[in-house]
Amino acid sequence: MALLQISEPGQTPEPHARKRAVGIDLGTTNSLVATVRSGSAESLPAEDGRVILPSAVRYTEAGVEVGYGARAAAGDDPYNTLISIKRFMGRGLADIKHFGDQLPYHFADPSSESAGGMPVIKTVAGEVNPVQVSAEILKALAKRGADSLGGPLDGAVITVPAYFDEAQRQATKDAAKLAGLKVLRLLNEPTAAAVAYGLDKPEGGDERDVDDKTIAVYDLGGGTFDISILRLSKGVFEVLSTGGDSALGGDDFDRAVAEWIASEAGLGTDHDAATQRKLLNTACAAKEALASETSVPVSYGNWSAELTRDKLAELLDPLIAKTLRACKRALRDADLSADEVAEVVLVGGSTRTLRVREKVREFFGRDPHADIDPDQVVAIGAAIQADVLVGNKSREDLLLLDVIPLSLGIETMGGLTEKLIHRNTTIPVAKAQEFTTFKDGQTAMAIHVVQGERELVQDCRSLARFELRGIPPMVAGAAHIRVTFQVDADGLLSVTAMEKSSGVQAEITVKPSYGLGDSDITRMLQDSYANAEEDIAARALREAQVEAERTLEAMLVALKEDGAELLDEKELDALERAMQGLRLAHNGGTAEEIRSRIDELNTLSESFAARRMDKSIKRAMQGHSLDEFDKP
Amino acid sequence: MELQQNHFEIFGLPVSYQVDRPALAKRYRELQQEFHPDRFAAKSEREQMLSMQYAAQINEANNTLKDPVARAAYLLKLAGVEINPEQTTADGEFLMQQMILRERLEEVRDAADPETELDELGSEAARLFKTQESAFSSALENGALDDAKNALLKLQFLAKLQRQVEELEEDLLD
Repeated sequence: MALLQISEPGQTPEPHARKRAVGIDLGTTNSLVATVRSGSAESLPAEDGRVILPSAVRYTEAGVEVGYGARAAAGDDPYNTLISIKRFMGRGLADIKHFGDQLPYHFADPSSESAGGMPVIKTVAGEVNPVQVSAEILKALAKRGADSLGGPLDGAVITVPAYFDEAQRQATKDAAKLAGLKVLRLLNEPTAAAVAYGLDKPEGGDERDVDDKTIAVYDLGGGTFDISILRLSKGVFEVLSTGGDSALGGDDFDRAVAEWIASEAGLGTDHDAATQRKLLNTACAAKEALASETSVPVSYGNWSAELTRDKLAELLDPLIAKTLRACKRALRDADLSADEVAEVVLVGGSTRTLRVREKVREFFGRDPHADIDPDQVVAIGAAIQADVLVGNKSREDLLLLDVIPLSLGIETMGGLTEKLIHRNTTIPVAKAQEFTTFKDGQTAMAIHVVQGERELVQDCRSLARFELRGIPPMVAGAAHIRVTFQVDADGLLSVTAMEKSSGVQAEITVKPSYGLGDSDITRMLQDSYANAEEDIAARALREAQVEAERTLEAMLVALKEDGAELLDEKELDALERAMQGLRLAHNGGTAEEIRSRIDELNTLSESFAARRMDKSIKRAMQGHSLDEFDKP
Repeated sequence: MELQQNHFEIFGLPVSYQVDRPALAKRYRELQQEFHPDRFAAKSEREQMLSMQYAAQINEANNTLKDPVARAAYLLKLAGVEINPEQTTADGEFLMQQMILRERLEEVRDAADPETELDELGSEAARLFKTQESAFSSALENGALDDAKNALLKLQFLAKLQRQVEELEEDLLD
């Protein structure tokens, strides 16, 4: 008979068996949160039963409002109500100028150091940046998730357009950090959609039976368009290519219709913010009505007219054509033709527009999948993946491989770009490049990292400037500095550098071009506490405790699997003592004490982790072709 | 920390220019199933870091073996021959042929039927590429490293030409 395990009073019980994990679709127009419960994924509704949370944030003197209430106020309070903020993520003020006079916001002086090069918007509640605004949306969704699942969340998968560059992904992850969310993975939206449709599973069969199959995901949301070509083979999703336009979506449909209304109604092109918002609302309503009607009456002020499906098609076709050109390009990148695509998935509210469906059907020559609500499909796929990553469900067969959507390069002499990692390379990926010094005794150098396909640095997107210091002084050209650019599975860049002859690790400081440094995030976290009732110390403690639980559990699993085999008695004893120390700190210590115990345990277990990986490698190499290796 | 095997050994493939593509693809997926960071999302930070490094290395090995030019360069490197980026072939006849092809490429836009002309140019480049691939492969097998190096330099030329053809195709499409 097995002995029952009972923890000592006041000690941490075994971590709760089922983890609270959610998938979040942080959209331009709408956002959602979903989770897997009793084996099926579902979107979580707000108290009023609605699952969509409009991505609108309104700042008032009394506080922050997110969702429908905020969106409804956009017409009357345009300066303090921020919508489609996703378009500003990872962007500089100059980038968003092309949105032109249509932006009703008051931008603050961008030269201030604290802005991190980002656009800063003045509201009645003070200055806010896009990362903070997105964090408000994430907080609202996280709260919904925690309320619904009965406790703080253990982790979240957050989706991003496949086309998002590094700065945009980093901004998204920073927003999650501000919102206090543990990000399990930034997942590409189209990949999430394919997972939601279970395209890996043939009817009534198991996914291992599916041989190579090509899937196109056409995702037209409020503000972004994405096309992704995926290949599914024996349970592995591989993104073959991605394309799209990070500033094209249903909002542009509304704008096209609004422009038509304005010109037909003789309003000219120069409107104040409130008029523009009302025009857009009218346009959007007409567009949506045309999904079920063939013609709808439209009126603005004293003017009124009929908008027909044909007229709408005429207004939208140039925009839809832009999406189809991107489809062609993505197919070309994947070395495929449209008729080789086996499944087409529609994502995003704008694919409800009938004209879009017609054009997509015509282009791919097949009926697209549209059975799952196109607004919810991404969040549902993210929830399924979150459930796997957090450890609730073992889907040994489901693996999502993503690619980097735009090439990463560095600035060389004369403002030219040298590409280091080409677009559509599967991530994670690492590339090393050697540099040398230009002057005698030079101890520092600067590297400018850019992303994009163009040859001139000025035509690419500036990501960050890295400054290397601590190069040992030598004559010019003698130092060989090996710089490694690493892009992780989330598409985020990190850089390390080493001088080869001396082995000296160069010190690196990063200055993101449009984003936040670690100190900025800390400052914003403090600001947000200052404005909330929440006690900073209490939250820091809670976060440290969660981290401690996670670390302890990972260690328990590792010990159970490999402890007896890979550790001698002394090592095992030391690890168990460190774990006990962490348990005690978890139960009565301060956040700092817990953090230091976590660090201690992590350091102590480094070689154990390395041995475990070695064991995995040996196992992975075995059984297949052991005889083919003659090297040790 | 790095995997000790060379790119071919990682995938259990013989060190050769001829690569069994289906076997490579299958083995690649099996290894990523094992080492992708998603497999370590609930594990310790240290293991997460190691898995990222391994997964990156597996990707790098896969990309090198998939790409004909990168694969050839890697094989030469394993044989102890490195080429520097500025190096170019000294074969005058080949260079002349390249110049002619490039001139044709520049004139495609003005051709009566640019698409057909571009198609022909593309097939010509592909044919020449294949010829140099066989030259490389047999030179390497016979240990004629200078010949292999020369073939690789030509492959680089031709790969660039093929890229330019593709870029122009894309331009014409828009």
